[in-house]
Amino acid sequence: MPRCWECIGTRKRIIYIILALAPILAIILSLFIGRYPVSLSDIGQVILTRLHLANYEVAKVNSVLIWDIRLPRAILGAMVGACLAVSGAAFQGLFRNPLVSSGILGVSSGAGFGAALAIILFHGNTSATYIFAFGFALLAVFLSYMIGQVYNTTPTIMLVLGGVIVSSVFSSLISFTKYVADPFQELPSIVFWLMGSLASADYQDIMVAGVPMLAGVIGLLGIRWRINVLSMGDKEAHTLGVNLKLDKAIVILAATLATAGAVCVSGIIGWVGLIIPHISRMLVGNDNRLLIPSSMALGACFLVLVDDVGRVITGSEIPLGILTALIGAPFFVWLLKKTKGGGW
Amino acid sequence: MLLLEINEASFSYPQQNTPVFSGINFRVGPGEIFCLLGPNGCGKTTLLDCVLGIHRLARGSIHVNGEDTRKFRPGELARHVAYVPQRHENSFPYTVIDMVKMGRAVYTGRFSSPSDLDKERAKEALKIVGMMHMRHRPFTQLSGGEAQLVLIARALAQQTPLVIMDEPTAHLDFKHEMLVMETIVKLVRETGLSVLMATHFPNHTFYFENQNIPVTVALLHDQSILEQGKPTEVLTETNVAQIYRVNSRLAEFPLDAGGWLRQLIPLSTLRKEENCDE
Repeated sequence: MPRCWECIGTRKRIIYIILALAPILAIILSLFIGRYPVSLSDIGQVILTRLHLANYEVAKVNSVLIWDIRLPRAILGAMVGACLAVSGAAFQGLFRNPLVSSGILGVSSGAGFGAALAIILFHGNTSATYIFAFGFALLAVFLSYMIGQVYNTTPTIMLVLGGVIVSSVFSSLISFTKYVADPFQELPSIVFWLMGSLASADYQDIMVAGVPMLAGVIGLLGIRWRINVLSMGDKEAHTLGVNLKLDKAIVILAATLATAGAVCVSGIIGWVGLIIPHISRMLVGNDNRLLIPSSMALGACFLVLVDDVGRVITGSEIPLGILTALIGAPFFVWLLKKTKGGGW
Repeated sequence: MLLLEINEASFSYPQQNTPVFSGINFRVGPGEIFCLLGPNGCGKTTLLDCVLGIHRLARGSIHVNGEDTRKFRPGELARHVAYVPQRHENSFPYTVIDMVKMGRAVYTGRFSSPSDLDKERAKEALKIVGMMHMRHRPFTQLSGGEAQLVLIARALAQQTPLVIMDEPTAHLDFKHEMLVMETIVKLVRETGLSVLMATHFPNHTFYFENQNIPVTVALLHDQSILEQGKPTEVLTETNVAQIYRVNSRLAEFPLDAGGWLRQLIPLSTLRKEENCDE
């Protein structure tokens, strides 16, 4: 971040303030949104009562709806969105390619297979699904990384290739689990999981998945200037004094922890890790010192708002993974058109 | 003390029998320009890559400031040697000042960002190469010559006694070629920097010599150094014919300030069968 607040332009200052406040506003907004209407005073009273700061007589239904359903869902949505966007931004820098997203090293397909496997083996036991999804997400990235090590260094192209190979293997394995799944119980669960949803969010999810997500985000925030240097390419980064192997491993590990933590509670949600870093680039530029935090803020906002749309647009909920792509894809086409010749 | 000392260096790519070069010996002292000359594909860049620690020598050793580079921790070499690439592969449109700040990476912790002091160093480096006015422009929008000056500034911000340049004037127009040459002379003269460069232009070494900069030329030929020494001694018509297979004449003009302006003027290429030793 710039050291002196005075020496940055007014426009930039406004952008930073908006970016910092936006996720909080989005979370508050989503408390209002839904089939059952609540008022501002309801929300205020429930939150103060539940935090033991005051003792209002609140209706049980309001209390449960606001505190136990809408609030954890919005918080988890913000966390997942922030993690997916920030790892997308970090991978784009690492791979020197703005078309890379958070799933480049196979984290999503690995998680998908883990979840599908747990649904078949443990009949959809929630904690088993989390553990399997998280474990296989890490395994997929580890395998991609090991394939990338074939030449003893970590050339970017080998890593990408490793990601492509591992992703396709796990995609096939997902198809296989679908093929052998019981079509009335397990198959729908697998399909719904793969489409991504925040519907079952509760505070336990936030606590459990929050640990790897927080660790990953802190790692990426810490190393964010190094990502600039890494994006100079292996040869230049080496001559600038970067320990390529270690720094790349840290970025990959942090981004993977964040994404795996997010994916294991939310299922597969595409596009966030691709388009949010792009919007951030347009707003704050390409310096990762700003890009990483602003991607977090925008990703959090985007996912909370898309989830709100999914909750109210039809009678039953539309899975998140469908909506992010439906909203994200046209936007991305427009973006490609706009950034054509924009320097990359 | 010698800045760079290369002893009996040889290198070959894996799964290839013939070495790219072998038995290479040379030294670079403080405030000196050392130019590697040789035809395309003779291994100039590979040799520079070995010095930069990108490749490992098959045999021989490289000492920087008296220390064996094999004993360096990762990143330590960057405190002694900076690098100016022939051409930067664009990735993201960073601003010029952000580009130069990356030269401070070696002094910046893994989990921190450049400090105000680093920013000052970057600005000083931009001033030296005369690119201060461009500092907020995106690097990707600069012309080839401007980009090269910024990359030189980045190397300066690294504050190393030795800078390695790989054909720093390739792709540049007439004026920017001269501008980069003048900048290099200025740096060596004013800051006592040493430069190890690969170049395609024999006349550049005469330029340095005419500017009274200590300059040594090494002619890379047939996997080793054919001859090394002062440009006037080494760049003879015979040697040029042998390494480039080009028939040339050395023209000399008296300079007003005294001394001679020397230029090698190529006349024609030599066919393989022709005997270049007359």
